[in-house]
Amino acid sequence: MNSLRHLQAVMALFWSQNRLMLAAGTLLALCTALAGIALLGLSGWFITATAIAGASVATALVFDVFAPAAGIRFLALARTFSRYGERLVTHDATLEVLARLRERVFRTFATDEEARSLAARPARLLFRLTVDIDALDSLYLRVAVPLVAALGSALVTSAALGLIAPALGIGIGLALILSGLAIPAVAAARAQKPARRRAHALEVLRSRTIDLMRGQADLVMANRLSAQTAALSAADSRLADADDALNHIEASTGFSFAVAGAGLLAATLIAAAVLAESGTIGAPAAALAVFVALACLEPFAALRRGALELGRVLLSARRLGSKLTDVVDEAASPDLPSCPANAVEIAGVTVSYRHGDRPVVEDQSLAVARGEHVALIGASGAGKSTILSLIAGELPPHAGTVRTLPAALLTQRTELFCDTLRGNLALARSNAGDGEMMEALHAAGLGAFVAGLPEGLDTMLGEGGAGLSAGQARRLALARLLLRDTPVWLLDEPTEGLDGSTARDVIERIGACAAGRALVIVTHIRREAELADRILLIEHGRVQADCARGSREYLRLLERLRPD
Amino acid sequence: MSALDTAIARQPALRKPVDPEALTIPEQKAGARRRRAGSGAPASPGRFPIALQAGASLIWIGQAALLAMAIGDIAAGAGARAVIWPAIGVFVLGVLRAWMDRSGSRLAFRTARHQLSLLREKAVSALATRSPLDASRPSSGYVASTIAEQAEAVVPYVARFEPLRWRAVIVPLAIFACVLPLSWVAALIMLVALPLIPIFMALVGWRAKEASERQLAKMGDMNAFLLDRLRGLATIRSFDAVDRTALRLREEADLLRRRTMAVLRIAFLSSAVLELFSALGVAMVAVYVGFHFLGQLEFGAWGGRLSLAQGVFILMLAPAFFEPMRELSAVWHDRAAGVAALEALEKVTAAGEPVVVAAGVPAVKPDGRAAGVVIDGLHFRHAGSGAAVTDGSMPERKVFDDLSLDIRPGERVAVMAPSGGGKSTLLALIAGLAVPEGGTIRIGGETLRPETAARLRAGMAWLGQTPHIFPGTPGRNVTLGRSDMDEHVVEAALGAARLDSLAHTRRQVVLGEGGAGLSGGEALRLAIARAAAVQGAGLVLADEPTAHLDRATAGEITDMLLEISEGRTLIVATHDPVLASRMDRIVMLGDESADGRRA
Repeated sequence: MNSLRHLQAVMALFWSQNRLMLAAGTLLALCTALAGIALLGLSGWFITATAIAGASVATALVFDVFAPAAGIRFLALARTFSRYGERLVTHDATLEVLARLRERVFRTFATDEEARSLAARPARLLFRLTVDIDALDSLYLRVAVPLVAALGSALVTSAALGLIAPALGIGIGLALILSGLAIPAVAAARAQKPARRRAHALEVLRSRTIDLMRGQADLVMANRLSAQTAALSAADSRLADADDALNHIEASTGFSFAVAGAGLLAATLIAAAVLAESGTIGAPAAALAVFVALACLEPFAALRRGALELGRVLLSARRLGSKLTDVVDEAASPDLPSCPANAVEIAGVTVSYRHGDRPVVEDQSLAVARGEHVALIGASGAGKSTILSLIAGELPPHAGTVRTLPAALLTQRTELFCDTLRGNLALARSNAGDGEMMEALHAAGLGAFVAGLPEGLDTMLGEGGAGLSAGQARRLALARLLLRDTPVWLLDEPTEGLDGSTARDVIERIGACAAGRALVIVTHIRREAELADRILLIEHGRVQADCARGSREYLRLLERLRPD
Repeated sequence: MSALDTAIARQPALRKPVDPEALTIPEQKAGARRRRAGSGAPASPGRFPIALQAGASLIWIGQAALLAMAIGDIAAGAGARAVIWPAIGVFVLGVLRAWMDRSGSRLAFRTARHQLSLLREKAVSALATRSPLDASRPSSGYVASTIAEQAEAVVPYVARFEPLRWRAVIVPLAIFACVLPLSWVAALIMLVALPLIPIFMALVGWRAKEASERQLAKMGDMNAFLLDRLRGLATIRSFDAVDRTALRLREEADLLRRRTMAVLRIAFLSSAVLELFSALGVAMVAVYVGFHFLGQLEFGAWGGRLSLAQGVFILMLAPAFFEPMRELSAVWHDRAAGVAALEALEKVTAAGEPVVVAAGVPAVKPDGRAAGVVIDGLHFRHAGSGAAVTDGSMPERKVFDDLSLDIRPGERVAVMAPSGGGKSTLLALIAGLAVPEGGTIRIGGETLRPETAARLRAGMAWLGQTPHIFPGTPGRNVTLGRSDMDEHVVEAALGAARLDSLAHTRRQVVLGEGGAGLSGGEALRLAIARAAAVQGAGLVLADEPTAHLDRATAGEITDMLLEISEGRTLIVATHDPVLASRMDRIVMLGDESADGRRA
């Protein structure tokens, strides 16, 4: 039932957008199904009627041949055009909904809480997210559209047959709806478990492949390589089992439909013969009924695939459903104070990552004056990055207050995007002109490089900024930071992973541009710490030493850092 | 020829413990060969399932004949009794047809699924023995996508497409043969309509096809776009750019939708043509038969006149004549996806630089005595790295040209070299993670080659530069599933790496993929524990263990490293002068004179 509730959330999202297109697509699918059934039915009626009329010359001459012949041609064309229209409209509507779904998911993950959980999430879950979004397109294309088309065509068909002979109409209608719905419903119910197992096995196969690739050296050295390939084979055979179960259900469903179709055909034949014998209907109507029976189960057969994919759709809906509720726009930093005296003020702050864990930062107070440069040093895991996250507003304190002037963050891992250079820079200031951008690039030491590119600022970067060297990427991130003209900069290991000369150049440029701004630098490299007017040594989530430039302790702290 | 040269010569045979090629059924082999020839010919599920499914389609001819006769009888006023046996016949044949179709498709699926397992196995065993030093080795993300998700497309391609291809040939021919003796006009209508379909489809579709494939590939890029932005969320949030980015995402998706629809409009036309011809084919047959009955089109039935039953029979066969073609066009994209998957699998299965593959499991446990390492006349270069490195900044060059080195048992040696000078390569070669071009490596007096690799490695402890954390408990990450390590060994190893607290507080915690929840220092300490747990190790190899660490942590790691290699030989590749200064000897690669020995 829970999954149904999530499914509702997904369906509500589908339905709230673009209703007209969704309804039109479904309607066209119904028209296609009906035209196909009517084409066969009318053709059967027509040739039987003409055969009877043609038996004598007199009836042959008065038989109106043109209306049914035109009807047959019309239906042939109608089926083609409505099918074409259906495919266009349903695909357009699906693409539209998926586009909105992606936007919605992005907005949800960009909220404070979700962004934090995402940061702690392994890549596998991020990957799962995209698989889930993709799985949702089945909901409309393979479940909703065929379901409405099948039910609608069954109703119309039985009503039409009911006009000829009520008993025939009711009988065929009941048989259609019962078997046509029961078979896919059983398939959907049976497929749920294997579909979930399949999704899981595929993830296991994926993560074991990654383990093999990334952990290969360790596996080779432990003589465990064959064990890992065996584990991969085991994952594949579990996947194969789930695949086989699903295929078994699919084949059984096809079998059931075919048997139901054969039964319906045989029963209709007998019923038509009985009705014709009793004189209720003529032979042409009997032929029409048989031909209709031949075609009327076809729309239901289209539900087969949807029934099998429903389990996967429900799984996606369960995982994504909670992310689709309307995002409440967070009030723009409600606790932002009216201009603190210092650039950063932390007062009595306590933070722990998980409830009940020992706090990472405990009852800590800290102030950074306007324009002051401060370095946070300490062993990994001491709480430096936590303090930076607190200042950046990524992490809410459990107790105490954090007040800062507007701040911009240079993350430890250079975060660039698959976009043009201009697009990457505009992230910091959307109204920045080319002149300002080039100025920032020159200040970051990347101006000549960009000016020399054939496409200049319009050069596309790959995923995550691929295409630039580590040094260039860092400089671009720095240029972006420069465009962000905030009074506080937060730098998380700004030159990590750069070679010595590039790193020194970048640091020099940061120093040159940071005049007048407050800097908070998290570092364990000496060259970075040397930028600071004050070095804070963090240990076990507390400031253990606080030394201003020029003091002996300042030099002693610098000595503790990595020299290169 | 040195012993190692012999090892290389044997390498190809040893790379694959079981040759999956030998297990494949002949059809698949032929299919694979044809694929390699680049003709794009599909792999087949075998003849029997194809025959079953085609046979199932042909049964409809019998059903149609029974139905046509019954309708003829009804029109002739024969009464309900006359149609009972035909009705039973229609039903029984229908069940038989359903059963044959089901069996055929199940068989085809099983064969196809089995082929997929073999292809995966082949790819995995090729990748498992490909040297981590090989620059052209595909990225783990690409390999995972190929082997896990993309490879799935092989099954529908093999199981569905090929049987349908046969059905699209056999069924229309059989129906044509049934209709022709009754009416050459009806047969002609079908004959004209069917070949017209592919011609028109091709005319409409060939221009759209390439564009549409490119476009559909871009749909996948929308996911990449979303992930790209989610990975950089901290920056986007810090720049207050969430709204702008969301709108951008939306714009991109809309633009893509419009472009995709422009292509689909043409692409769907080709299937519309198919629908049109099959619908018109049915309509024309019906109209012809009707007019023929009325005496307005007397010709076409070989001089005679069709009976009602014959007319109905022809009309019932008309949709079935076009059906396989329609189904084939519906699974056309299965083929495109399947061929792409086969190509991608072939790419990741391609051979590269191998590791020294261990033949068999070590029979004797090493005794843990310090083992000396003697390297004699070592030659190594990265094969084909020139082609693999895109920016061309790393031309193919010799890493080692006749390198010799003698490390005494129990000696602690730092190997230093400028960036790219081969210090990590040397360690990898000692561990057998790559095969040298020439020269020998002797460890504890025994030459490293496939027959000895497993035994020698059991006597080595390895500490990689970026240790991979496997999903599982800390304990499992220490043993890596090695059966000879009991709980005490694990406990002691975790203790040696100062991870007892982690082991106690988070003993049952499943560490995430890539070590989520561990700091960089903790991950490295876990790797130290992994090395410390190798009881019989006489040689410890550590590849830049202190890179990217702050000074305090680096010092701690250095202490632990020296502790766990007590009484063993230790070789450390490093550029950390502090770490190097604590070794007995520093070897500078590429500078023989700088082989400094501490007193």
